[in-house]
Amino acid sequence: MLGAATARRAPATPAHGQRGAFHLPGAAAQVPPSYWDVIEPLLSRVRKPAQYVGGEHNQVAGQWGAAETRWLLCYPDTYEVGQPNQGLQILYEILNERAHALAERAYAPWTDLEELQREDGIPTFSLEHHRPLWAFDVFAVTLPHELGHTNLLNLLDLGAVPIRSIDRKVDDPIVLVGGHAAYNPEPLAPFIDAAVMGDGEEVTLEVDDVLRAWKHDHLDVDAAPSADARQDLLRRLAQVEGVYVPAFYEPRYHEDGRLRQTVAVEPGVPALVPKRTVQDLEEWAYPRKQIVPMTETVHERFSVEIFRGCTRGCRFCQAGMITRPVRERRPETIQKLVEEGVKDTGFNEVGLLSLSSADHSAIGPVARDLADTYEGTTTSLSLPSTRVDAFNVTLSNELSRNGRRTGLTFAPEAGSERMRMVINKMVSEDDLLRTAETAFSEGWRHIKLYFMVGLPTETDEDVLAIADLGIKTYEIARKHGKANKVTISVGGFVPKPHTPFQWCAQDSPDEIRRKLSLIRHAIKQHSGIKLRTNDPEEGVIEGLLSRGDRRIAPVVERAWKLGARFDGWHEMPTLETWRQALEDTDVDLAWFSYRERDQKEALPWDHLDSGLDKDWLWEDWEDARSDKELDDCRWSACYDCGVCPGLSIEHDTGYTGGFQLPVLPQGLGGGSEDLPTAPERYASGG
Amino acid sequence: MQRYRIRWTKQERTRYISARDLTSVWERGLRRADLPIAYSEGFTPHPKVSFPDALPVGFDSTGEYAELTFAAPIVPDRDLARLSDTLPAGMDITTYLEVPDGAPKLARMLRATLWELVWPPVDVTELTELLNRRSDELLASERAEVIRRRPDGDRTIDVRPAMLAIAASTRPTAGGDVCTVLRAVLRNDGPTVRPTDLYAALSHDDIAEPTLYRRVAQGEHVDGGLHEALSTEVVPLVLDVDAEAA
Repeated sequence: MLGAATARRAPATPAHGQRGAFHLPGAAAQVPPSYWDVIEPLLSRVRKPAQYVGGEHNQVAGQWGAAETRWLLCYPDTYEVGQPNQGLQILYEILNERAHALAERAYAPWTDLEELQREDGIPTFSLEHHRPLWAFDVFAVTLPHELGHTNLLNLLDLGAVPIRSIDRKVDDPIVLVGGHAAYNPEPLAPFIDAAVMGDGEEVTLEVDDVLRAWKHDHLDVDAAPSADARQDLLRRLAQVEGVYVPAFYEPRYHEDGRLRQTVAVEPGVPALVPKRTVQDLEEWAYPRKQIVPMTETVHERFSVEIFRGCTRGCRFCQAGMITRPVRERRPETIQKLVEEGVKDTGFNEVGLLSLSSADHSAIGPVARDLADTYEGTTTSLSLPSTRVDAFNVTLSNELSRNGRRTGLTFAPEAGSERMRMVINKMVSEDDLLRTAETAFSEGWRHIKLYFMVGLPTETDEDVLAIADLGIKTYEIARKHGKANKVTISVGGFVPKPHTPFQWCAQDSPDEIRRKLSLIRHAIKQHSGIKLRTNDPEEGVIEGLLSRGDRRIAPVVERAWKLGARFDGWHEMPTLETWRQALEDTDVDLAWFSYRERDQKEALPWDHLDSGLDKDWLWEDWEDARSDKELDDCRWSACYDCGVCPGLSIEHDTGYTGGFQLPVLPQGLGGGSEDLPTAPERYASGG
Repeated sequence: MQRYRIRWTKQERTRYISARDLTSVWERGLRRADLPIAYSEGFTPHPKVSFPDALPVGFDSTGEYAELTFAAPIVPDRDLARLSDTLPAGMDITTYLEVPDGAPKLARMLRATLWELVWPPVDVTELTELLNRRSDELLASERAEVIRRRPDGDRTIDVRPAMLAIAASTRPTAGGDVCTVLRAVLRNDGPTVRPTDLYAALSHDDIAEPTLYRRVAQGEHVDGGLHEALSTEVVPLVLDVDAEAA
């Protein structure tokens, strides 16, 4: 064979324990190899190769030797899902703004590339310089949901880093997790070094400070670090407010297997780890220099977070509970961020993000000003929020000045009035139908309604009310045009930690399936209504991981060993693998997921303080079971959930004053025929 | 409305941008450069940027073309340079030409492509000779059928009708070695023949696949090479080692 290239070998991975030279601060460090030359020849053999090349507009490619601390920021899913994540982009920007810090990005390789990487000895790599995971000081992973846990283990293993914290040495990266699923990191406890609770901006920089000081104290060109240097770093990290080091805590169980308490076993660490809260969003106007992908991602737009937190008190919603209190960005800051960002990135779409964007106290003026700015241009505006009221239609009319009035999405979440009281979603059927009437009469042609089944106290009557509401909406739709459409999307509810529903039993997949078939049967006569559902099995892994304790960790490890990856993807049905893992590790899924807890039972996240008072959550759970609603505390009296006094702050709203409407939060995003997969649902989360 | 035809490169990391994603990469670049690109009418307006044909993902190119229509006059030297700067590294605008009314379609100016197949710097003399021998045989034959393997079924392609000229020569590499380069001028009209098909016709199972396929330029076939469409440049079929080294 003429002209055959001598096979290019991947640079050898230095033995574990002999990577210290790469971690030295500054110019003394050995620069790790770039794997680009060996990755590149593989790219013609894998799907969507552009996701692995980096080089996008606004990428920051820092010099290894110029940095004292080096972070690899990771979203443990594919680039197309993870790249738009706002939280990671914020940290990327604020770390790289520090002269002494360097931050690069990594995503999970799809299975085709992973296989080739393992054959050729190519570790988990960064996009900026294709540097190996093992050379970085911190592997900081955002966990917006639970379905990235196996990917996290896989990325560590692929990156030549021991998957267990206890096996890591001083020259291994610190494995740090954050994001919403980090509010119960117990199923990952043996695998992570630390979890960060709450808003990441301030605490990330504090961790960076600690790391930098520790490196100066312990890492030296001429001397090997002391034996307990890593332990010292963990102790220092545990002193940072909001940082939880699982190794310093131990769970104690009752004889019947219920958790009694999780206790601190290391002197000087807090018994209760508080979440971090950035008090003034105005001080953190990020991300400004957003990455512009060169290949398709789930959200391609310039996104501005218009406020953080939510006060609606929807009892199923973890995000709404753990991100309290509400902190709004000023209208003029929003306008400035959007205008500069659109110029800088060239995106033709702007997203105004939050948990319930129409609830910003100045959303009317904000939407009007932006619509004025971009009227007659090719820049479009989107508001991923779906209040079920006429105001939402008005807002959508404003935002769609440049485009076509196609689909509107509303999220009543439950079908019956009683059920909506249980979940504290305050919208009446009359409101909803009036809203539909307004929308269709103003030229909108398609309404999507989002619902859940499997909610606590739900009866078949409540389930059938979903179909009923769908039919009534459809009758209105038809009145305004034969081609008008109504879609009802129904997902299975998964109870989450730090919510009033944290004690409730999750419905089994069979029960969800039965309820979905009730709806399907009830709308059979109305061929114009489209029903979209997820596979009822999909909530099983999410449920197990969201409320599991440390005894679930061996299941995660086993499932990963058996090949589970990308657990949130329709294309990757991993449930059978998980069932095998449960069997192999002798863990009873039903006990963890389908059992209602009582007030006395300790929960695996009791030592992690989201600011919500546990007694208040319990009261709210009891209110839920007696169909009692709770007002939105943005507009009405405080009901002592515990968040604000603990932080000595109040809701930071109403910069322009007086713009108050009864409002309701968002549903799910996604425009495809299927319900969005878990990764898609969470992709834009902060 | 002002129309410009440009020649641009797709190299380095941008080689992996798919044809499908290319439109948005250009649109964002145009918006960053703040140029008054014209948009199509309708509910979902698209910028008026048209590409004559798609380059397979992973191929290198210094011979991409596009036609841009602007809604307001631009200063091409200044504005197209700014556009070039704002495009991702590896994508550069190298030539432009304003299009007069009534000009023939861009595709009619791009009747042929000069392709380049590059091998690593091994077996250079032997490989170059062998490629030239096989190339002559191909040119002397009436048909040269190869099988193009695709997931949706194999296809038989006759590469001969597309072949206008072909020759192997050598070029110094950045590392100080010399490598074999095969250049071929292929017709763009008629059934598509890709350089991978050409390789299949030449390899006879004893020549390794080239490490790089490059679309060098497009235009008219002339003696000794290709007359590039937007300039007076003649891209040579046979590389002059001394000239390249100098």
